[in-house]
Amino acid sequence: GRGRCVTRLKAAVHYTVGCLCEEVEEDKDVQFSKQSIAAISDITFRQCEIFAKDLEMFARHAKRTTVTTEDVKLLARRSNSLLKYITQKSEELASNNMEQKEKK
Amino acid sequence: QGIIWDSHSHESWSLSPEEFEIWDRLYRIKESDGIKEPVLPRVQFETLENLEETPFGLQRPQEGAARELSLSEWSIWQNQPLPTSLVDHSDRCHLFISAMQMMELMRHQQGDCSYEQELQPHLRMEDVNIPGNKRHLSMANPP
Repeated sequence: GRGRCVTRLKAAVHYTVGCLCEEVEEDKDVQFSKQSIAAISDITFRQCEIFAKDLEMFARHAKRTTVTTEDVKLLARRSNSLLKYITQKSEELASNNMEQKEKK
Repeated sequence: QGIIWDSHSHESWSLSPEEFEIWDRLYRIKESDGIKEPVLPRVQFETLENLEETPFGLQRPQEGAARELSLSEWSIWQNQPLPTSLVDHSDRCHLFISAMQMMELMRHQQGDCSYEQELQPHLRMEDVNIPGNKRHLSMANPP
């Protein structure tokens, strides 16, 4: 059922958040309590719902049914630093995709 | 409010002399008031290169002359929806409230974590994109 699916998703998010936090721990020489990792993972999970709704609305606003990188950039509009980072990543991805296509 | 809208020069974007006088007398923060100018905290990213971001093009008051408005000093009040006037709480706001509730519940847990224990049996390794033992989840690196 749906509840089971959600729990499985939450478990995957929690595991991945744990891995990322471990990297930060090594990098910054800090420790996260298990509870703080659980909180970050729960917030991440719920934030996905909010991102999903916003992305769908942004696409619909542009009369599209497919979400594009332009919609993703709109999620980062509140901060110039974040927007710059996301835009750079998006350009990197685009040029990688181009290279891949050329190889084929 | 009546006074402001009765004025003849209200079509202009700026304050009329009468409005300016009211603002200056009643609302403007002056040195003699002995209170610090309120400012909102700046956006800062620990993992990104930080660009200059001054909202609304405002000039920042000098260090010490301002009181930075805190979004965390009343955190123990935030595990319940606070009253609303005309604007309902958003989904985003409810996310925040439930995260605060969850943290309140876990505050006194030591060691083992109930959230982790509930989820662990449901973890399927095919859902997590981690090749081999060495993980390759790249963190945001500033250029």
